[in-house]
Amino acid sequence: MEKLRYERPLIKRLDGNMPNKFGMRSDYTPKTHIEGVAVKDLIKKYGSPLFVISERQIRENIRKARKAFETRYPRVQFAWSYKTNYLDAVCRTFHQEGSWAEVVSGFEYDKALHNGVEGSKIIFNGPDKSSADLEKAINNNSLIHIDHLDELYKIQELSKKQNKTVRVAIRVNMDTGIYPMWDRFGFNYENGQAWTAINKIMQSETLELVGLHTHIGTFMLSPNAYATAAYKLAELARNIRLKYNHEINYIDMGGGFASHNTLKGAYLPGTDISPSINEFAEAITTALINSDFPQNKLPLLILETGRALIDDTAFLLGSVITNKRLSDGRRSTILDIGVNILFTSFWYDHKITPAQPFTQYTEDTVLYGPLCMNIDVVRENINLPLLNNGEHLVVHNVGAYNMTQWMQFITLRPRVVMIDMEHKVHVIRDNETLKSLLDLEHVPDHLTKFDL
Amino acid sequence: MNPLSKKTANQVTDSLLNSYGQVFFSRNKVFAVILIVVSFFDMYTGIAGLAAVFTANGAALLMGMNREKIRTGAYGFNALMVGLGIGINYQPTAEFYLILVSISLLTLFITIGLEGVLGKYGLPYLSIPFLFGIWFVIIATKGYSELTVSERGVYYLNDMYAIGGMPMVRLYEWFNNLGMPETLRIYFKSLSAILFQYHLFAGLLLAVGLIYYSRIAFLMSLIGFYSAFAFYKIIGANISELNYSYIGFNYILTAIAVGGFFIVPSKRATMWVIFLTPLVAITLNGTAFVFVNFGLSVYSLPFNLIVILFLYVLKFRERHLDKLTPVLIPLYSPEKNAYGHTSYMKRFGTLPWFSVKLPFWGEWKITQSHDGEITHREEWRHAFDFEIVDDEGKTYEGEGLHAGDYYCFGKPVTAPADGVVEEIENEVADNAVGDINMEKNWGNSIVIKHGDHFYSQVSHLKKGSLTIAVGQTVKQGEKIALCGNSGRSPYPHLHLQFQSTPYIGSHTLSYPFSSYVVRENGNFEYNTARIPNNKQLVSNAVPDITLQHAFHLIPGATLEFKVNEEIFVWEVESDPYNNTYIQCTNTGSRAWFKRGVDVFYFTGYEGKKDTLLYYFYLAAFKVSISFYKKLELSDQYPLTIFPNRLIQGIQDFAIPFVKFLRADYLLVYDQLDDQTTNRKVVLRSIATFGVGQNIRQQYQFKMECNTRGLVRFEVNTGKNVIIAEKQ
Repeated sequence: MEKLRYERPLIKRLDGNMPNKFGMRSDYTPKTHIEGVAVKDLIKKYGSPLFVISERQIRENIRKARKAFETRYPRVQFAWSYKTNYLDAVCRTFHQEGSWAEVVSGFEYDKALHNGVEGSKIIFNGPDKSSADLEKAINNNSLIHIDHLDELYKIQELSKKQNKTVRVAIRVNMDTGIYPMWDRFGFNYENGQAWTAINKIMQSETLELVGLHTHIGTFMLSPNAYATAAYKLAELARNIRLKYNHEINYIDMGGGFASHNTLKGAYLPGTDISPSINEFAEAITTALINSDFPQNKLPLLILETGRALIDDTAFLLGSVITNKRLSDGRRSTILDIGVNILFTSFWYDHKITPAQPFTQYTEDTVLYGPLCMNIDVVRENINLPLLNNGEHLVVHNVGAYNMTQWMQFITLRPRVVMIDMEHKVHVIRDNETLKSLLDLEHVPDHLTKFDL
Repeated sequence: MNPLSKKTANQVTDSLLNSYGQVFFSRNKVFAVILIVVSFFDMYTGIAGLAAVFTANGAALLMGMNREKIRTGAYGFNALMVGLGIGINYQPTAEFYLILVSISLLTLFITIGLEGVLGKYGLPYLSIPFLFGIWFVIIATKGYSELTVSERGVYYLNDMYAIGGMPMVRLYEWFNNLGMPETLRIYFKSLSAILFQYHLFAGLLLAVGLIYYSRIAFLMSLIGFYSAFAFYKIIGANISELNYSYIGFNYILTAIAVGGFFIVPSKRATMWVIFLTPLVAITLNGTAFVFVNFGLSVYSLPFNLIVILFLYVLKFRERHLDKLTPVLIPLYSPEKNAYGHTSYMKRFGTLPWFSVKLPFWGEWKITQSHDGEITHREEWRHAFDFEIVDDEGKTYEGEGLHAGDYYCFGKPVTAPADGVVEEIENEVADNAVGDINMEKNWGNSIVIKHGDHFYSQVSHLKKGSLTIAVGQTVKQGEKIALCGNSGRSPYPHLHLQFQSTPYIGSHTLSYPFSSYVVRENGNFEYNTARIPNNKQLVSNAVPDITLQHAFHLIPGATLEFKVNEEIFVWEVESDPYNNTYIQCTNTGSRAWFKRGVDVFYFTGYEGKKDTLLYYFYLAAFKVSISFYKKLELSDQYPLTIFPNRLIQGIQDFAIPFVKFLRADYLLVYDQLDDQTTNRKVVLRSIATFGVGQNIRQQYQFKMECNTRGLVRFEVNTGKNVIIAEKQ
């Protein structure tokens, strides 16, 4: 007989409050297995903490998203947003599913090329594109989405120098009725900046305006805002047709679809309030179909969806270091997962579940990371069962931004594994070692030696 | 010669030669020249024939008849035969020519009159005008004292002497005494009798001409003749009748008409040639006894009666229409009928009159097709049910207890073809999953009129989702409603049917989609003019802008290609019948093409077979303007372009029974550089000619298109490589 699990004694105040209308909801089923592989075995083999990505879930997500749009609109193309997660294995899974690449820096651009994406299927976004980056993009016939006028001038200059026609789109920002309005990227629609850019491009002999791009915000909870944006872009395209007799080839609606994470301060969990991809698809496609585009000349619809496709495909596994009672009487649990690798804990109340069975007793807990820094709080308040040192926890929905925004700070970055369609585990990124850091460092000769 | 008079000269020559050729259903110029030569075996007969043709064609032209019909000899051949028939019987006096001109004119009138009457029934007038013409003139001239009867035709040795003197006579005698089977002798004579010649030489020359014109026609003439012979033997009829009265040509003409000209050559057609022989024989004997009382011959009356009657009878068929196929567009060659028909039927035969597409976007699954197991039965058997499925084949997300869980629920429904909205129902509530509404069993529906007696109906739409109104015009692919769960629909799905009446729930019609793509094991299959099968994953093909542009050849456009410093200029032209073709101004060759809704086809080629245009004809024989990577399109060239004439000749003899040659076309969609502005599309194609599995010749082609259209065309003939670049 297996030794019974120790559970510390717990005293809990009896709450006689009104039950809320959603009932006494409890999320606490242990997440013991991911894609059929035991969490315990994963940690044992690959260490703790550990990022685990499900290939099956990625494919399911992108197929579902494609289906949502392709059954509502005749011409659709997804482009994988590199900044959301640019691990090669992840990108290539998306490319296998037909997605192009959407990059926002020279580094990401090179990574897309390295992954084997044809230059013409790379969308180059972002406010900071160096002359060298642009030159490369021009040579590779990539789609360049212009963010500001200086960039426009630069592209014009380069294209003249190379005597090449450059396919460009402009990023347009606009009031779609949401706050905050993302007016720092691209050209504003309402104040006429967008037209300034369009006029300049249309007058240019070397620039070809092939598309219109917008990206109205992030973690959008209102599909209607997309409908407004799509409608405004369609109107812009119509006016370009009227003024210049020029057809726009594509409309890029950017990304920003919410995932099922729960934003900090949200009253209801993300699983309940985040619109499904179908709702976004419905809003965007309906707006475009009902716009002034002739039926047979509907432009290609490009989507740069990142978060909504990758968030729920990844889990972060960690272990309990210790439990502590805080001065105000609250319990706290310290994990080996810090905000340095779980960057999104600044934005979300992540769903965190134990990786082993437990009893019904739960307690409000503060989850701290292992960093020797006061900001290292993973969850400020979470109702968790009683955990012991060495037991494991699973953080859900960590696929977006964590594996790109993580930082090497105090601890080293852990391994990332991917579980394939046959439940086989592949290491897709090794953990950092001292060597990986030292390789980058150089110590001036006079500092090599010291005597303490 | 100025161009106008050159055109006139061409018209005159064509109409003359075709008037002769038409006697054997041919437009072959060489054969026509042989026929003229044979007719001149007796010079005055020949002159009479020529005069009759000129009279009839000239009169038709002056009276303003259709120039094209005159050019094809349709108005001349009956007069020609009347001319020949009386030319051999009378002395060439001035009075004779007066009669000749008159009777030619009368024959022309009868021709046009009969064309008007029989044409309404889609039947040919064959040589009935000739029969009337010659009977009238023979009876009438009995009282014309100024006409002198000639006996020239009786003494054919005189003809021989006139042509080549004594040596010719000896040659003929020697030839006549050759150990040729009696039946063959009669065959040759019967053949010559068609031109009112009654000797072996004429028959022999005609047989050679006939082989040159058409192997099938020659084969059929033998089959027809010998089956008559067999019938006479079996029945115990007087075989010598064939020999002396020379009316055996009735069997020959019937055989050619039924076995190759009016009916696509096939085993069945050949069988009917044999079956019809006794009918011709009975008609022949039955009418001959009556006509002899008036001193008339029946000439080709049995042939006319039986062929016209048979063609008329075929029109009343309700079934087996594909078994014995009448030739719809006369190609004036049994070979072209045989090869052209099969490939035409395969390529365009089922091409729908209306371009009909799937009524949705994206990929859906057919969950009930024609003759379905649930509701598509009896009068409603030609219908489709569509649903959206995921990778596991499930149609819903979650538990599937709510209509909204189903992938197809609320998805756009588009118009399958252009049309006008005829009837709508928009107010039926969507069912709970599992429930059905038997009262309003079609649920919310739209009926669109696409043409007379052609409507489409989509049903089980979402309540209140219709975005159109009755009387509104809709374009193909336009969103008209959302998929729902109303009517007899236990779970959301889309019902589509075609019908000939404008009411919701009309009886269904079987009608193919003009094009669609099927996905199977990750591969795409492009289908044209077909009805998809149950359980298939189908989607509409999305046209590729570059290919659409490259193969959108508009008459008046000019394409210039440079091959090794030489510039080839191709002009896109169209004829008055709206047929489009590319003409190479360097070589004079022409390639005929056709643009379907989504497919570009070449339909024919005229000219030398080593020109750049010929290779392009082979390379772009069938091109779908939708790009699916690694998509393969195959087709078959007509065997008339087979590179070896001799082998092809053997195939010609065998084509009614077996096809052993192959001329295969394969197109592979190789590379598409970028979809948004479509910079570059590369297509590769292979033309394979072979005997069975044995490949005799293979060409490989590569076509590169960009925003400028077709910019580079590479040909690998196996021996050399030709690279053409657009200028």
